[in-house]
Amino acid sequence: MGFHQISVRVNGNDEIITVASNLTLLRMLRETLSLTGTKNGCAAGECGACTVLLNGEPVNSCMVLAVEVDGQEVITIEGLAKDGQLDIVQKTIIEKGAVQCGFCTPGMLISARALLNRNPHPTEEQVVEALVGNLCRCTGYSRIIESVQAAAERS
Amino acid sequence: MTTADHKTETMHPVGKSVQRLDVLEKVTGAAQYTDDVPFGNSLLYGRVKRSPVAHGIIKRIDYSKAKALPGVKVIVTGDDFPNLVGLYLKDKLIFARDRVRFVGEAIAAVAATSEEIAEKAIDLIEVDIDPLPAVFDAEFGATKDAPLIHPDLANYECPNFIFPVPGTNIANHFKIRKGNAEEAFKKCTSIVEKKFRIPHVQHVPIEPHIAVAQVEPDGDVTVWAASQSPFSQRSSFAKALGVSESKIRVIAGYVGGGFGCKAGVTMENVAVALASKAGGRPVKVRLTREEEFFTNFVRQGLIINLKIGCDAEGNLLAMENTQYWDGGASTEYGVNITRAGGYNSSGPFDIPNITTNALCVYTNHPIGGAYRGFGMSELHAGIIQCMDILAEKIGMDKVAFLKRNAIQGGDFNVTGMKMHPVGLQECIDTVAKELNFGKKEPTSAPNKKRGKGIGIVWKAPSMPPNAGSSAEVRLNEDGSVTVSVGGQEIGQGTFTVMAQIAAEALGVAYEMVKIEGPVDTRYSPYEWQTVASRLTWSMGNAVRRAAEDARKNILEMVGEAWGENPSNLDIKGGYVVSLKSEESISLKNIVVYGIPRPGDQGWIGGPVLGRGTFMPSYVTNLDKETGQGARAVVHYTTGCQGIDLEIDTETGKIEVIKAVSVFDVGKAINPDLVKAQIEGGFIQGMSSAIFEEMKLVDGVMKNPSFVDYRIATTADLPKENIALFVETAQDDGPWGARGIGEHPMTPTIGVLANAIYDAIGVRVSNPPLSAEKIYLAMLEAGKIS
Amino acid sequence: MTSAHPGLPEFDYVKPSDLSEASQFLALHVSDARPFSGGTDTFVRMRDGFFNPKYLVDVKNLEGTRILKFDASEGLTIGSAIPMNQVVAFSEAAAYYPLLVDAAKSVASYQLRSRATIIGNICNASPAGDTIGACLAYDGVLNVHGLDGHKKLPLKDFFTGPGKNLLKPGDIVLSITLPVPPKGHAGQYFKLGRNRLSDLSIVGVSALGYKDPSTKSGFTFRLAIASVAPVPFIPTLAEEILSTEPLNPDTINRAAQAAMDAVTPIDDVRGSAQYRKYMVRNLVKRAVNELQHKLTA
Repeated sequence: MGFHQISVRVNGNDEIITVASNLTLLRMLRETLSLTGTKNGCAAGECGACTVLLNGEPVNSCMVLAVEVDGQEVITIEGLAKDGQLDIVQKTIIEKGAVQCGFCTPGMLISARALLNRNPHPTEEQVVEALVGNLCRCTGYSRIIESVQAAAERS
Repeated sequence: MTTADHKTETMHPVGKSVQRLDVLEKVTGAAQYTDDVPFGNSLLYGRVKRSPVAHGIIKRIDYSKAKALPGVKVIVTGDDFPNLVGLYLKDKLIFARDRVRFVGEAIAAVAATSEEIAEKAIDLIEVDIDPLPAVFDAEFGATKDAPLIHPDLANYECPNFIFPVPGTNIANHFKIRKGNAEEAFKKCTSIVEKKFRIPHVQHVPIEPHIAVAQVEPDGDVTVWAASQSPFSQRSSFAKALGVSESKIRVIAGYVGGGFGCKAGVTMENVAVALASKAGGRPVKVRLTREEEFFTNFVRQGLIINLKIGCDAEGNLLAMENTQYWDGGASTEYGVNITRAGGYNSSGPFDIPNITTNALCVYTNHPIGGAYRGFGMSELHAGIIQCMDILAEKIGMDKVAFLKRNAIQGGDFNVTGMKMHPVGLQECIDTVAKELNFGKKEPTSAPNKKRGKGIGIVWKAPSMPPNAGSSAEVRLNEDGSVTVSVGGQEIGQGTFTVMAQIAAEALGVAYEMVKIEGPVDTRYSPYEWQTVASRLTWSMGNAVRRAAEDARKNILEMVGEAWGENPSNLDIKGGYVVSLKSEESISLKNIVVYGIPRPGDQGWIGGPVLGRGTFMPSYVTNLDKETGQGARAVVHYTTGCQGIDLEIDTETGKIEVIKAVSVFDVGKAINPDLVKAQIEGGFIQGMSSAIFEEMKLVDGVMKNPSFVDYRIATTADLPKENIALFVETAQDDGPWGARGIGEHPMTPTIGVLANAIYDAIGVRVSNPPLSAEKIYLAMLEAGKIS
Repeated sequence: MTSAHPGLPEFDYVKPSDLSEASQFLALHVSDARPFSGGTDTFVRMRDGFFNPKYLVDVKNLEGTRILKFDASEGLTIGSAIPMNQVVAFSEAAAYYPLLVDAAKSVASYQLRSRATIIGNICNASPAGDTIGACLAYDGVLNVHGLDGHKKLPLKDFFTGPGKNLLKPGDIVLSITLPVPPKGHAGQYFKLGRNRLSDLSIVGVSALGYKDPSTKSGFTFRLAIASVAPVPFIPTLAEEILSTEPLNPDTINRAAQAAMDAVTPIDDVRGSAQYRKYMVRNLVKRAVNELQHKLTA
């Protein structure tokens, strides 16, 4: 099986890594770079727990090969807070009590941040649509949706 | 270092909606779950060879080709681990030996230097199995004609409250004989008789099961696991390996959702088995999402036959309740779910004459385990619908019918236990009011039908009579408090609640308290399991006692130093104050270094520790033949749920407009966390009721993925999901609290079914209450064409 | 027991530098190489063991695969490397091809559509492929590069049987062109899943309609039904009824019934054949009513 050297910017850091052809971006983040905030919930692009930003767009990192991100930019949950300041949606998800087990939370926050980047003032239905690929079994979602709306109101 | 914005000080936090302790870690990706623990390059990866056959005799296992594959380090089979394990009934092997009993059962496992190699090795293991006739229906399985799945049932070890019937597939037969149901039915003016089938469903935590095990140089075994039960697991691993508990250490970090499936022991045994032969290298076993669906604990299927009768005034007189629980290939945990189905079999109703037969039946389906509600969603699915039918039959207002028959404090319930005070009447009233029950609402479009449903539930913690809790409270130099517990933070917020309890009992701000984690059986105090909605009550009592113990030590120290009676001292806001002299002293430093005696005459006190334990002492066993006894359980949490919905008659789709759930929680230690449990529990209940079913065909699950097993998403929510509670204090709960974790999802199947009937005039009784089922039912009934 | 792999099985990732190298490589390794772009179907099927290629050939940086343009005479051209989200966000797509955008928005989740492509939907021929019906209704033509250079394949002829299509060894679909649709047309995707959003369809009806003086009814409707056959099914009799008879509730009912009678779906985990047939009828009826309303409003 082939190996490839790639260079990729992750959370603002330039990394040069050798990756196997079948290594997914998810496994690269978790296993090679020890960025374990991105979670593996299904490895099939269905649960959204592994969502990261690839060149600003949210992707299921289990559905991207590491070799494909050569020369590109990735932001993970570890890169969401800037200069010690939580992202506004990290703050509002805390305030709304929208975290329980927390396993879906990183992917949920990345999807929410991506939505607010492309649409700073989404309607409730637009929030629903943007988060429909992030499964949560604990919260019943409504507090999560409210926290994205609250973040939009405040930014 | 990322920090939250505000620094607040919350005094007297019990009853306040303080912020969760664990959120900062969880929103930044820093919270460590088991799969996040680093193990370095020595880590081996385990995969499992599974049975493709539902029931059969293993003729041959040949792993020589797998063993020869470079990178393969360990192969284990059933011959390496002959000991039977199980939480209640010891009827389970880690790996099948002579016989396989369900599709997906572990036969062998491989540990290799990569997951890919382990996977290849699994494919190289050859297994020959001669199929046997199988059992896929619990009702059939209980008959004499059914093939026997566990011929050795008579020899299995189990506690004295489980009643297997050797020579059959019945692993537990729980009976209630209260009054005389047969005679009482003769006096009934209306009787409803109905059969319900509740399918198998899955828990679907977003974190799949995972465990890592390693043998330490001294031979002890350390296990890292996503676990609701570190201590029960320790005990089970010890039995599987034939060693004592102290040789095993379980470390359990944050759990990415449990809902019961991470209680007891399932796949974790495989990691331990592999590690025991891996020469000190750690071995990680992680289920794929697909394996999560069909190889691990499932919520058992249930077939329930109900017969309930009342008199002309609407007084319930009699019930006959026969339950066939589809326990699966092993019933180690399921036997106790059946027991719960039996001693809760009346639902929250005062019924003087009851005959119940709750049967746990072996089948060739996946193994049943605990699932949020522990049988109560399934049981109430039937009872709630029958009560609706009965009220309609006698022409009585449904709310009035529930109120007339709802169990009350002082009633002698189904097992003869005298009920403690419950606020069920208030729960029913609140739901009826919030939902405007009885008022027909307009539909949003001509092709829609609208309806409302209501139902009530109860549930007691289902556990051994002597399930214990313990806690330790330590004070630090800066006056902060560290609390050690053995219960798990699985998302429900228990660490937060324990910190509130410790702070309140001690007299410090909530923000001064930290809960020690991860739970580690080497250092953490014992806790039976994080199940049964029992932690706030049981562990809460232990934490309260530990904090009070620490408080007593502090007050005695200061009392001695000041020459005052400790009863005249109090701790307020982190200071010890004298009620007489109004003198005060900060807890800082004195709780570690003590206080100098006046005149340089030595020191008083020293490091402050508090210890607390709790174990109910009053639960008695029930008579084997009648199911009657003084006190079957510790207490019941009761509640009511109502739903207002619309059905699209062109597709059969349900749109829930409003859901109202009201439960009697005794005392809400953290009201917002209580509401969060109720909201989330309702959605889980709604999801399982509308969407979910393990489609088992001849023992094979046909939909083991998120593509084919759908759960609710952000797009499937009711417009309003209202969570409320009432507070009728529990006499032995901390500040009167009792549990609420499981209950919110237990009424939902039945309440939805009642609302569907109210909307379309057709009973769709058995979940999933899918659009297809509703549409075809309307078609068959001639409601549409 | 066959179950999904925990990760992707081993393969070699190949990134050809130009089209001819790509076509030659694929032709040379015809049985053990697969082209991929977004990978959302390919990776899932590889985990399931359904595909087991030795080489995965990344075609998304090749010339002609990153095109996304609208031309008033030629219509809309969407490269095979263009993720669905980009199509949805492309203002001319939304303005002139509402059915396509509606269908693309219905696929799975936003983050999956960051990678999933319309060409991928077509080449993998998922029976639930939500966007295929729209591409058929808009008379899409595939632009293909093969060993003999470029060629055009009309989508209506593309599918030759379950899992089969017209592509030859070495062929790479570069893009799809959807001609300029009839002015003032209305188009919408009527999808029924188990969840309100994000699910595969139990039944999906792609519907396009426009005022057409050349027909007796004064309208032409194009319909394509997903999840009732190996590829989207065109209910030609229903379309004919809708153009040859006065458009009234009775006509629409009979057209819907004709569509229901013409489909032969199967039972699967998403729904029974019986339910699917009724849903074809009800959704076709809903679709025609909705489009008629839009066209006459």
